[in-house]
Amino acid sequence: MMVAIFAILLIAFVLSFAGLRALGVICLLASLALCLGLFLWEIYSPDYGFRLPWIQV
Amino acid sequence: MRRVARSDAPIVVALDRLVLLLMLLALAAVLTAAMVMQVVFGEIPCPLCLLQRVAMLGCCFGLIHQLHAEESERGTGIAMVFAVVLLVISVRQTLLDIVPRPGHEYVGSAVLGLHMPVWSVVIAVALLLGFALRFALFGAPRDVAPAPGTVVRRCARGLEIYVLLVAGLNLVAVVLQCGLGDCPTTGYRLL
Repeated sequence: MMVAIFAILLIAFVLSFAGLRALGVICLLASLALCLGLFLWEIYSPDYGFRLPWIQV
Repeated sequence: MRRVARSDAPIVVALDRLVLLLMLLALAAVLTAAMVMQVVFGEIPCPLCLLQRVAMLGCCFGLIHQLHAEESERGTGIAMVFAVVLLVISVRQTLLDIVPRPGHEYVGSAVLGLHMPVWSVVIAVALLLGFALRFALFGAPRDVAPAPGTVVRRCARGLEIYVLLVAGLNLVAVVLQCGLGDCPTTGYRLL
């Protein structure tokens, strides 16, 4: 997943550099969607869910 | 009624482009420093650290887009979205490790007393503040007749190539570290 995110991001940069800015933005948004999905998957804990129970105020 | 294109004073446009260029330069420097820490000092990034790099590269993309734009603020919008993403990821990682306990220490070494995720929070807030100040000071000036070949445009093109290379280098590093699976923080999967 991480490799896909960076690969699509690089494609976005290359497309933008080549003048295909609209296609570059589409690839960037695809990369953003994958990034947010992976972020949620990384921070989810089977025990705590998305909570942070070690922070007590 | 015909819509008339708006053009601001050249000095305002030049200052606006300079601010964008400085923000891009700062982000390129941070990404370079991250790669140096990884390659030279052997500090292997965690998955959330890599996602923060993605957010910073997305900010760079938006800034480059804006530097080439004439009648649109889309690039600034893209950069601001990724700045917020950077803030969310870095705050979450900071909170994840804020209470010292086994298996939850901040990764990497501290720079000026702050660890990497805390620096990411600072960078994200600085970026958002920079965009807010840009709008407050210059009001998103429009350059109706941009002059190709100016120093700012040449610098923008040079930085664009540099950021492209940094993105490529990051992809190579991620392939070596993660392969096609999870990203270990203890070593490179393919080395």
